[in-house]
Amino acid sequence: MTKSKLTEIRWHGRGGQGAVTSAELVAQAAIGEGKYAQAFPSFSPERRGAPVMAFNRINPDEPIRTRAEVDQPDVVLIMDPNLLSILDATSGLKEGGTVIINTKKSVEQVRKDFGISARLALVDANTIAQETLGVLIVNTTMIGAMIKATGVISSESIKEPFEKRFGRLAERNIKALERAVEETKIGEWLEMAKAKTKEKPGTKGELSWKEIEIGCFITKPGNSVEIKTGDWKSRRPEFDFDKCNKCTLCYFFCPEGCIAKTKDGYFEADLFYCKGCGICATECPKDAITMVEEAK
Amino acid sequence: MATAVHGPGIITELEPFTPGHRACSGCAEALAVRLAAKAIGNNAIIVNATGCMEVVASPFPYTSWRIPWIHTLFENAAAVASGVEAGLKSMEKKGKTPERNIKVVALAGDGGTSDIGLQALSGALERGHDFVYICLDNEAYMNTGIQRSSATPYGASTTTSPAGKESLGQITWKKNMPAIAVAHDIPYVATACPSYHRDLMKKVAKAVATPGPAYVHILSACPTGWRCPTDDAIKIGRLAVKTGTFPLYEVENGQYKLNLNLTKLEPVGNYLKMQGRFRHLTEDTIKEIQERVTQEYNKLVALASKSGEKASPE
Ligand SMILES: Cc1ncc(C[n+]2csc(CCOP(=O)(O)OP(=O)(O)O)c2C)c(N)n1
Ligand code: SF4
Ligand SMILES: [Mg+2]
Repeated sequence: MTKSKLTEIRWHGRGGQGAVTSAELVAQAAIGEGKYAQAFPSFSPERRGAPVMAFNRINPDEPIRTRAEVDQPDVVLIMDPNLLSILDATSGLKEGGTVIINTKKSVEQVRKDFGISARLALVDANTIAQETLGVLIVNTTMIGAMIKATGVISSESIKEPFEKRFGRLAERNIKALERAVEETKIGEWLEMAKAKTKEKPGTKGELSWKEIEIGCFITKPGNSVEIKTGDWKSRRPEFDFDKCNKCTLCYFFCPEGCIAKTKDGYFEADLFYCKGCGICATECPKDAITMVEEAK
Repeated sequence: MATAVHGPGIITELEPFTPGHRACSGCAEALAVRLAAKAIGNNAIIVNATGCMEVVASPFPYTSWRIPWIHTLFENAAAVASGVEAGLKSMEKKGKTPERNIKVVALAGDGGTSDIGLQALSGALERGHDFVYICLDNEAYMNTGIQRSSATPYGASTTTSPAGKESLGQITWKKNMPAIAVAHDIPYVATACPSYHRDLMKKVAKAVATPGPAYVHILSACPTGWRCPTDDAIKIGRLAVKTGTFPLYEVENGQYKLNLNLTKLEPVGNYLKMQGRFRHLTEDTIKEIQERVTQEYNKLVALASKSGEKASPE
């Protein structure tokens, strides 16, 4: 008997983007084809806007016994291109594995900007989703890119799970998926993409059980200041000091506590932490704060 | 917009609760904790029940607290706070630690307070521990994905009280937690909302300065669970207060005092319509809620006038 072909998939998205839903739909399609499949999210306290992961395992022949998170994937999906600057997409990627990215960039550009030598599948999912669905929800489009790049499931078998999940909206999602199948560009594997550390992506610096303090003590007070929550945002506040009357409301109403006084007594947000909620702009009585889209 | 509790000038630049926490974008509960922490100051031990604010502040091995902090179970923040307070007292008496007047402050969500933590809280209040209990009320179990609690308001849609053809969402009225605290005859009870930040900080500081048990109930909007835009939490909190849905008041040694003198309540519909969790409500249900809100508010006014305390003008 030949060794069965297990495919392991790791999804990277942001809370609220539908990575978990995508993984579930893919698993349902695979099961519909008579295969064995799993879908599950990474269990962590991540919230809306924060980077999240979801996983699939698909095996055409055999039941899947392992329940652990996928740390050596065959396929990695990046739903938000901004994630590439904060995580190592190829971490643990198997030899010959594929990285699928939602981006407007070309294969050459992605290789240059992010140093990824693995096989690439690129799709401008934002544009497809916006044009086909009218909203920036890219999860179904990304499934299309995956079908094109890997053939792990077929476009036919995804239709039923889509119909069950989306009802009337299924048709448009199928259209988005089919467009992605058409438009996804493949960049073949360049050289052996060295399997990097087995470190879990997005959890740099995680301690092993041998290193943690007895009793789970945290001995560095306030060390969450090292955590950059600023990369959750899709828009950022801009402060107009000419309009500011130094009323302090933005300082008090910031849930992050990231707005501080400048040396001239005005106020400004620390973008390292700012999550882009927009409360400061809404509450400023002088309209001195405007929210602007983060440049893509 | 300006009210008596707003105004220029910074009370303190102290931030015992640091950035880098992982609350959702626009979370007013995180803001409530940040403001409360400013008022609590550095000479305190925080005891935090499981819930959003515990989870977002302690992604191990990180913490957003610059002061001592202990994570408890979902149900026993008040019991652990009792133990910490009693232990401190005893160590001070025996000279094992210098007397430093350290305050113990328990934090818990509405689920951790009005549901599963209620008996632990009742016990701690009844035993008269010298501590502050802060209930962070976002009106559902948000950490686990928006399940209803006994603090969820009538008509709100949650994942376990979903609105639909046959259901209007939550079918019970919000449990009156501050009244339960008052019934324990403790020296200080107050309600607060981060939209009135100075009022909130004043009350927490007062609670910390009160010898014996003090209870502060803070309503804070959760954009994720209330289904509203991330920049609306302050506006919504302000409307909760101005519609009389969540009145700001204090009860000192049994004497009620309303903090804002609202000559006229805004229609409760203005508050409800900003939130997706109430989107399904019919005009009839909104009327029903309006009647209840007015009735409850009038009860408070009556209690306050009996106490003879004057509210500050709005
Ligand atoms: C005994 C027990 N049951 C259930 C849970 C799971 N759990 C963790 S937090 C939470 C809900 C917390 O709700 P709340 O107290 O309102 O705080 P919030 O997250 O809304 O701030 C639940 C049910 C638990 N930790 N312990
Ligand atoms: S779920 Fe609600 S309360 Fe919890 S962190 Fe998010 S916004 Fe805050
Ligand atoms: Mg809650």
